[in-house]
Amino acid sequence: MIHIHRLERYWMIAIGIVMGGFVAALVASVLVYGVRLPTPVGRVDPTHLENTDVATPGLTQDSAHAYTLRVVAQMWKYDFGIKGQMPKITLQHGSSLKIVATSKDVTHGFYVEQHNVNMMLVPGQISEMDVVFNKPGIYHIICHEYCGPGHQNMVAVIEVL
Amino acid sequence: MQAARKLPAQNQAMVFPKVGLLSSEQWLVGSHIITALIALSIGIFLGPFQLFRRAPMLKLQIPVFSYYYQALTVHGVINALFFTTFFIVGFSYFVVQRSLERQIWRPKLAWVAYWLMLVGLLMVLYTLITNQANVLYTFYPSMIASPFFYLGLVLLVVGTWIVTTILFMTYYAWRKEHAGEHVPLAVFATLSNYTMWCVATIGVAIEVLFMLLPMSLGLIHTTDPQTARALFWFFGHPLVYFWLIPAYISWYTMLPKQTDSKLFSDPLARVAFIILLIFSIPVGVHHMYVDPGISMVMKTIQWIFTFAVAIPSLLTAFNIAAVLERAGRKRGATTLIDWMWKQDWGNPVVAAQLVGMLMFVVGGISGIINASLTLNVALHNTSWIPAHFHMTLAGAVTMTFIGILYWLLPMIRGRALFSPKVALWQVYSWFVGMLIFGYTYGEAGILGVPRRTDLGSASYVNAEAVPYLNGAAIGGVLLLISGILLFVNVIGTLFFSKAPVTGEAPIDTHVESNSPMILERWGFWLIVVLVLVIVAWGPVFLETVNFTSGFNVHGYKPDAPIPFP
Repeated sequence: MIHIHRLERYWMIAIGIVMGGFVAALVASVLVYGVRLPTPVGRVDPTHLENTDVATPGLTQDSAHAYTLRVVAQMWKYDFGIKGQMPKITLQHGSSLKIVATSKDVTHGFYVEQHNVNMMLVPGQISEMDVVFNKPGIYHIICHEYCGPGHQNMVAVIEVL
Repeated sequence: MQAARKLPAQNQAMVFPKVGLLSSEQWLVGSHIITALIALSIGIFLGPFQLFRRAPMLKLQIPVFSYYYQALTVHGVINALFFTTFFIVGFSYFVVQRSLERQIWRPKLAWVAYWLMLVGLLMVLYTLITNQANVLYTFYPSMIASPFFYLGLVLLVVGTWIVTTILFMTYYAWRKEHAGEHVPLAVFATLSNYTMWCVATIGVAIEVLFMLLPMSLGLIHTTDPQTARALFWFFGHPLVYFWLIPAYISWYTMLPKQTDSKLFSDPLARVAFIILLIFSIPVGVHHMYVDPGISMVMKTIQWIFTFAVAIPSLLTAFNIAAVLERAGRKRGATTLIDWMWKQDWGNPVVAAQLVGMLMFVVGGISGIINASLTLNVALHNTSWIPAHFHMTLAGAVTMTFIGILYWLLPMIRGRALFSPKVALWQVYSWFVGMLIFGYTYGEAGILGVPRRTDLGSASYVNAEAVPYLNGAAIGGVLLLISGILLFVNVIGTLFFSKAPVTGEAPIDTHVESNSPMILERWGFWLIVVLVLVIVAWGPVFLETVNFTSGFNVHGYKPDAPIPFP
């Protein structure tokens, strides 16, 4: 078989240990720190959103500190049921927010500053993610997937009091 | 050994001149390389102007392609798809002919492939210039471009399939006469690369032929964006290895000669290329970690495979470091680490590759970070991503290609490089400029600045990121200068250089390798690749395809929220 130099063998062992360490750290990020990725939660027909979870976009309060935000992304804005170029919602700090979002035309992005929310909004699919806002501040929601000439203005705001 | 027998003309062994090229070689290799350079001259300068446009203190309008997303599409499509492919095909012909000392199989067919790819380039360029394909180089549906854009891409890919056939038939003709011998490492790597490429392009071919092209022609009216994304990334990740492997060929098989050193381990190099072949396709889901339509199970499986595909690059790091250590010792290095800087920094061919490697260290580490499943949440689609892939593609790959160009272009022209000094300035200004860009955009990405966004007219830019975005413009100035210096040398070498070319082609024709012959059983590896592809991708498509209602998403032209057609 192949002759492997002693030093190279050490190098391979070192690679194995380092990569193994990375795997352990990432498993911990899921199991211990609860970082989540979007996973399939359901499909929709983007031209017929009326009888779906996202039929009426907007913020609803589920309990004292728990909210749900339903979002329909479109060229080139986030529809929360709020008028204006840069729609804004306001939450008390310590609130948890479930985001349920989809796109009704092309692929969009959904990124919340300083929080672990980063999703693709793909037409035909529902994207869902939970987040807790512990620190007061202004956090922008940014569309980070190119969606046409108005893409750079596709921004919304979450204000945490 | 078999007795030599009469072979058809195209299979005859050939003697190549040590210095300079045969005229058939000159035309074939030269046409591909010069077409690549013309493509690069269109794509390259739009890069720095993106940085100027996105710097809040400048917000400069991009010249010629004044619409930001048009400029961005041209930069991505022309650089990443056409410059790379033309360069790699030309380089592959050169490497295979010279290493096997025979003409390629059916040279006329190679010209057919060239013309197909050239017509593809012109079609795509036409749609880009006329604003009919502002869909970026990932062209995700449900956004739809002109049919000519997709047809142009089809021609490019079909061209590369013909190239693959030519290269493999050349190899098999050689193999018939050299049973039991090891094929030179450069050819070994080339064959593994095109094997991977052919499997990978199946994904994008299905996406373009059955979804995008019929939709843009109005034959079908709906699509499935999640499945299309999966098909694209089935191809999109191996694409980056298709670019990288030719650079590895230069590092493994040419750099030892250019630095008066010796390859440390030929068998481990072959093992690295086989691991690259096997693991470069079942990893594309790492581009879709935050997509809604793919399960955590498949994301986890492909994450682990992604870590596996980092291993050949880490093996390469060891092997090439050993080459450089030997080179450094010959230049007088004596201590544990002084060989690292006792290198031939004054030779543009070597320096370009060295800075490419240094950038690849950054690109590799940032790549492992991107690939790290949950960490990706912090970075996906932020400006960190272009920062990362400019360390790999515009660093390791392009700098190595430019290093190759600095000896290959003189051979093609039959004249010495116009100015080695200008070449050195080009290499170092590129290096510093790209590192500034990488650092600033990496930082801005961590702060949440999105990629692919016309910040020059955006309604919101994170104030904390402003200094980084402005700083990137300084990198942009250096990169602009570097691009100009590159073309000064290209034009100088082609038209104004007087001195004759003196360098020899850094090609091995005979190999001493003690690697097992199983590594050269391409049919076997193809089956391994296909099995792994089915295991890793089959379930992904079962998840994304909508079996109850099929395609149900309308298409849209990028400029209007009205369903197309």
